[in-house]
Amino acid sequence: MKYFEDVAVGDIMRFGRYEVTKEEIVEYARQFDPQPFHLDEEAGRQSMFGGLIASGWHTGAMFIRMVVEHMTPVHATAGAMGFDDLKWVKPVRPGDVLTVESEVKEKVEGRRPDRGTVKIESRIENQRGEVVMSLVSLVIYLRR
Amino acid sequence: MKYWEDFKVGESTDLGSHSMTEAEILAFARKYDPQPFHTDPEAARRSIFGGLIASGWHTCAVMMRLSVEANRREEAAATGSPGLDSCRWLKPVRPGDTLTGRTEVLETWPSKSKPIGFVRRRVEMVNQQGEAVVAIVGITMYRRRPTGGAAA
Repeated sequence: MKYFEDVAVGDIMRFGRYEVTKEEIVEYARQFDPQPFHLDEEAGRQSMFGGLIASGWHTGAMFIRMVVEHMTPVHATAGAMGFDDLKWVKPVRPGDVLTVESEVKEKVEGRRPDRGTVKIESRIENQRGEVVMSLVSLVIYLRR
Repeated sequence: MKYWEDFKVGESTDLGSHSMTEAEILAFARKYDPQPFHTDPEAARRSIFGGLIASGWHTCAVMMRLSVEANRREEAAATGSPGLDSCRWLKPVRPGDTLTGRTEVLETWPSKSKPIGFVRRRVEMVNQQGEAVVAIVGITMYRRRPTGGAAA
């Protein structure tokens, strides 16, 4: 288990593999982001995106799924305060396969003696190595 | 139709409300954020949160839903978003909470290369006690008013 003391600025982690399907893009969009270019291939083709694309918040949800599968089991985290500087860089399309590269940018001691905050920059990449989304998460780590 | 030109700094819009059920908190978390305090009411009771809480990404998804519906009511010509400056999950969201959204325009500027403009806005959701549970500052893109169109 990695506690606050065990993470160091500059640490890099690569993890996850998420296959994006048309069905899931449409299912998420129907529930949370029902804009035409997330719901319908033809509407997507006619939009500035040139085809069906995933909701950006759906990409965020896929990102947290990969984090919970691969990082949470081995890092002593207690959720996150939020994030800064989220960029939706490129559209995510059906058939894309996403992975994550995360880098520890800063450790913040804070006032509570039992925990600290770690700023982690994550880049979500597709199968061509293109960054589709990036953000800096404010993750709460427990101390040893 | 509400175009980029129609957004004024300082204007605020009510986004409406949504009540969070335990079933939808569990369904979202099991698919996207399967941590015990989001997926297992018993484990959640023993966690630092003292009960089941919604994934922060679920709360944001609900905020997006309310924003899309508000855009539709206003017939706003929204065309997506390049990202957010910040997002803070300020308080846990629990089953039965009713979340109400509100947004305020902070800044507007036109694209130099495309017939769109950008709106930087703060969006906040409060629970039924009036406590803010999430606050974001994000950017939305809107189509420009077609040239030749008279101001409303």
